[in-house]
Amino acid sequence: MKLDYSLVTRRTFLNTLFGGWLLAFFSGTFFALGRFAFPTLGKEPDFVILKPEDYLNIPPNSTKPFAWGGKLGLFFRKDEKTLIALKGVCTHMECNVTYKPEERKFYCPCHKGWFDEDGKNIKGPPPKPLEIFDYTVEEDKLIVARKGVKVELPKA
Amino acid sequence: MKFLISLIVLVDFLYISLLWGEDAKPVVEVFPATPIHQYAIYGNLAIFWIGILGLLVIIRMKLREIERVQRMGLDKEQS
Amino acid sequence: MNCPRLKDWFGERYDTGALRKYVRGKLLPAHRYSLWYYTGGIALFLFILQFVTGMALAMYYVPHAEFAHKSIIEIVTKLNAGWFFRSLHHWGAQLAIAILFVHLFAALLLKSYRKPRELLWYSGFILLGIAVFFGLSGYLLLWDERAFAAVRVATGGAGALPLIGNFIKAFLRGGIDVTGETLTRFYAFHVSILPLFTILLLVLHVLIVQVHGMSVPLSLKDEPRREEPFFPNVVYKDLAIWLVLLGIVVTLATFLPPEIGQKADPLAAPPENIKPEWYFLFLFQTLKLFPGEILGLNGETIAIILISGGIFILFILPALDSKSRSGQRSPLFTVIGIGYLVYFVIMTVVGYFS
Repeated sequence: MKLDYSLVTRRTFLNTLFGGWLLAFFSGTFFALGRFAFPTLGKEPDFVILKPEDYLNIPPNSTKPFAWGGKLGLFFRKDEKTLIALKGVCTHMECNVTYKPEERKFYCPCHKGWFDEDGKNIKGPPPKPLEIFDYTVEEDKLIVARKGVKVELPKA
Repeated sequence: MKFLISLIVLVDFLYISLLWGEDAKPVVEVFPATPIHQYAIYGNLAIFWIGILGLLVIIRMKLREIERVQRMGLDKEQS
Repeated sequence: MNCPRLKDWFGERYDTGALRKYVRGKLLPAHRYSLWYYTGGIALFLFILQFVTGMALAMYYVPHAEFAHKSIIEIVTKLNAGWFFRSLHHWGAQLAIAILFVHLFAALLLKSYRKPRELLWYSGFILLGIAVFFGLSGYLLLWDERAFAAVRVATGGAGALPLIGNFIKAFLRGGIDVTGETLTRFYAFHVSILPLFTILLLVLHVLIVQVHGMSVPLSLKDEPRREEPFFPNVVYKDLAIWLVLLGIVVTLATFLPPEIGQKADPLAAPPENIKPEWYFLFLFQTLKLFPGEILGLNGETIAIILISGGIFILFILPALDSKSRSGQRSPLFTVIGIGYLVYFVIMTVVGYFS
């Protein structure tokens, strides 16, 4: 029953107030629960620090893996003069790639994707080239960083 | 029953506060130590209680309305 | 809360007539004891809270003796509000078991166990046992010194039962002693076996309540009956009570988060003054009353037999109380009920302060 001068019935008013307050209350509660259930999703690192002697002297046409956060990184000696650091993760669906020395190409077994020795995607589903990292040797540290990231190491 | 609970809570509180002086075995921090977090927690608790009290007020309003309608006999289906 | 379109959608596919009639016709007696009717709903709410917080915690807890303790420390220190959800789970458990005891004694003293509701008593009693086992199994998962020692004592105590004791002890422990096997087993109980049995029994328990309706104490038999509709009146009252309870649990969880002791070492001495959880205290205090030897027989065994007997008698009480069964007042069983309640409370309090 709605009074003529009233916008809504008493029932509508009460129900809206109740529903609205309940909504606010429980969305707050479930937000807290959600924050707990979804932990801070891991980020990839901006740089990692390795030991130079482990990676600078690998033989030509070979790779050596290193840890890039939780993912695969590869040092690749293309020839006597060129050493590349890249992310060994296929740009298609994030499987790890392997290097095939006989063909001088990187291969992703999940969907048979191929990358050439510069990391460019040449065959199969991968849409983009492999990500190449910058690296420098500072004092006794080999610093591998994402392209464009300036690494400032704290002085010990 | 309520008395029993508050008694247990009080004793727990005293027991835990007595533990503060215990010799230092590594104590795991089961409650954030930084003041900013503590203020956030107590502030959130206050807002939470305001939320609950608001809901209780609204529920009481609804119940009074429902009982008023029921006393008038308006909730029976038209037969 | 009207949603006529949704109701129409269902109405065009299912015959909602019977359900509507049931919903409109569900009435609860209103009298001076009807407040006790709410204890069951409170227990249900607290169990739902435990399920939700438990599911959230189970996403991070590692049930291996080597990593369990550390995983809880990670939850408490590293996750967003991790300490809070663990604390909430702890206090939810304490209150759930407390309210279950209140619910039991309310049913006992109001004699709602009498005919035709005996199955409610039996299923409820088993549910209480399950809840206590929930508490025990959950407590061990912390795998700190106190939990380890407490479970050793509790399962050892079960082992003192004559004949079946060793069998039960081996079943609970997964071996001769409390080990990583025990942890795995208790985890299986806590997150899988017990929840499934709880849900099955609870559904049965609540369904039987729907069939019989709420019991009215015999002392009020001749009073004119006032009734209120379950939908919506009692639903809103339930909701209000559950909200207050949520506030209480959250407040307790905020101000009194449970501590985390040192990681358990099976070869180390147990910590000083080890005591089981409060809902076991009355059992252990009773054990302490008995001397080591009675008439040449092992005192502890006699104690355990008597305790088991007492619990068994409580379990089959509906079958023993013939006066209630025929709808008569049964003051003897009221006294017995009060006796159980007083004994439980006194032994728990004494156990707590000793």
